[in-house]
Amino acid sequence: MANTTLSPLHRADGSARYTKNGYSVIAAVNGPIEVQRRDELPEEAAVDVAVRPAAGLGGLPERHLESILQNTLRHVIVVSAHPRTLIQFTLQIVTSPGDDSVTGSLPQASSNLPVLPALLQASILALLSTSIPLFMTLTATLVAVNPNGILLVEPSVQEIKLASSIHVLAFSSHGDLLVVESEGDFTIDKWEEVHKKAKSICHEEAGDESESGSEDVSMSSDDSSKIENVLKEAVERKIAKEQRWKESTG
Amino acid sequence: MPREAEPSINEKAFLLQALHEDIRLDGRALDAYRNLDISFGDDYGVADVRLGKTRVLTRISASITAPRPDRKFDGIFTITTELSPLASPAFESGRQSDLETHLSRILETSLRRSQALSTESLCLVAGRQVWSLRADVHVLDHDGGLIDACCLCTLAALRHYRIPDSSVKGGDLTVYSALERDPVPLALLHHPLCVTLVFFDAGEKWLVDATVMELQCSEGEIVVAANPQGEVCLVQKGGGGEVEALVVLRCVEVAMGKVRELGKAVDGALERDARRRDKGGMSRELRAENER
Repeated sequence: MANTTLSPLHRADGSARYTKNGYSVIAAVNGPIEVQRRDELPEEAAVDVAVRPAAGLGGLPERHLESILQNTLRHVIVVSAHPRTLIQFTLQIVTSPGDDSVTGSLPQASSNLPVLPALLQASILALLSTSIPLFMTLTATLVAVNPNGILLVEPSVQEIKLASSIHVLAFSSHGDLLVVESEGDFTIDKWEEVHKKAKSICHEEAGDESESGSEDVSMSSDDSSKIENVLKEAVERKIAKEQRWKESTG
Repeated sequence: MPREAEPSINEKAFLLQALHEDIRLDGRALDAYRNLDISFGDDYGVADVRLGKTRVLTRISASITAPRPDRKFDGIFTITTELSPLASPAFESGRQSDLETHLSRILETSLRRSQALSTESLCLVAGRQVWSLRADVHVLDHDGGLIDACCLCTLAALRHYRIPDSSVKGGDLTVYSALERDPVPLALLHHPLCVTLVFFDAGEKWLVDATVMELQCSEGEIVVAANPQGEVCLVQKGGGGEVEALVVLRCVEVAMGKVRELGKAVDGALERDARRRDKGGMSRELRAENER
């Protein structure tokens, strides 16, 4: 399942490593720091995101991911608390599945949605480790619909290739839909189904009434399968570590 | 953008005073490296090196391209280094700093131009298809010793990497996937490593593997790249302070000892990884490379 490490890096203000489903991302947040004059916003903090692929230089797919992340994180962070500053994210993709050591030349215009949930989770964990004030936390997941109309949660590379559509959904800690990026062929009804499914994984309260499909064996009712719990566990570990002086003094 | 914080005058005086008494702030000997930890990823050609708090990740990848028209028999080997704000808030993403240029030049000279990797071995069909090998060096954490760590990490990744096996029949190239044939190691001719020494007091005092703070207080540095066989690939002095020739010779001698030490560490790490991968002890029978 998901593997999280808070603050693996020493120099960045906050950092996190998030590994799930073969994707591994290291995120670092620096902020609030000095902002360049041309990016400065008079009443709020500017949010800057840089996504760096494991091999090669970033191209269009990375810029696309950056813009999605930037627009999401801007609403998650209390930007009005730090006017005229910069909150800088750097996201390094360490591994991605099916990412052969031999790379063919990928088409420049293709998007790379499957990595987005890991990027979102890593950046929110990094924000938690920086202790920057947030309005909410978020949880994200990837759902693929295969040609038979079956929903696959956290699909493998092969399943993504064969899927008729893939959807990335992120929910806030209040259960509101924050990000939705869909690709491929699907109907509104199918999307509603995807939405319900994703919400049941990402957000706790909704999880109880939704029936769990037979196709996803890995998503049992087990506690750690809920992405929100992964986040909670990471924060609990951080608090326990920071409060250990208190424990020992009694 | 924020600059790297300079040590205060007191900190600086304290560090220099301690150095006069041959004491380093972290308690190491003057010629001792910090804890070195080399680990490899599940994929071939991914090395993660930790040197104290410094952490570098290198990933090797290969693709097939056409060679340069003037070098028909040579494959392409590129090393890219980019210092991002991951490593330190003082690094800007997208703009090349002096440190980055310095780092990439040294890596270029010590690994690429010293012919550590035979580019001719990357040729598949002369004039038409060659391997283009790429080493992406990601600096994740910066606490000094960047050149040493990057060079070590790239070399470890190159030695760990396995390139897909291929055959040419009648001018037609076949590249075998890992399932068809076991990938083969790269043709590395020698294993150069870098050792950086920094100076204080006009070359009177020098130390190995300086942290960021020691680097900021120093007068200059000298980088020595050599292989464990004792061949020097590069000696570069920077930083301004003047140093006597005899001191430089002594530095090269010290560096040579350190290179052997580091080389052994890489050998050990590779061996451990090979043992971890060798499930059932079949890798010797399965490999596709020729016994020479």
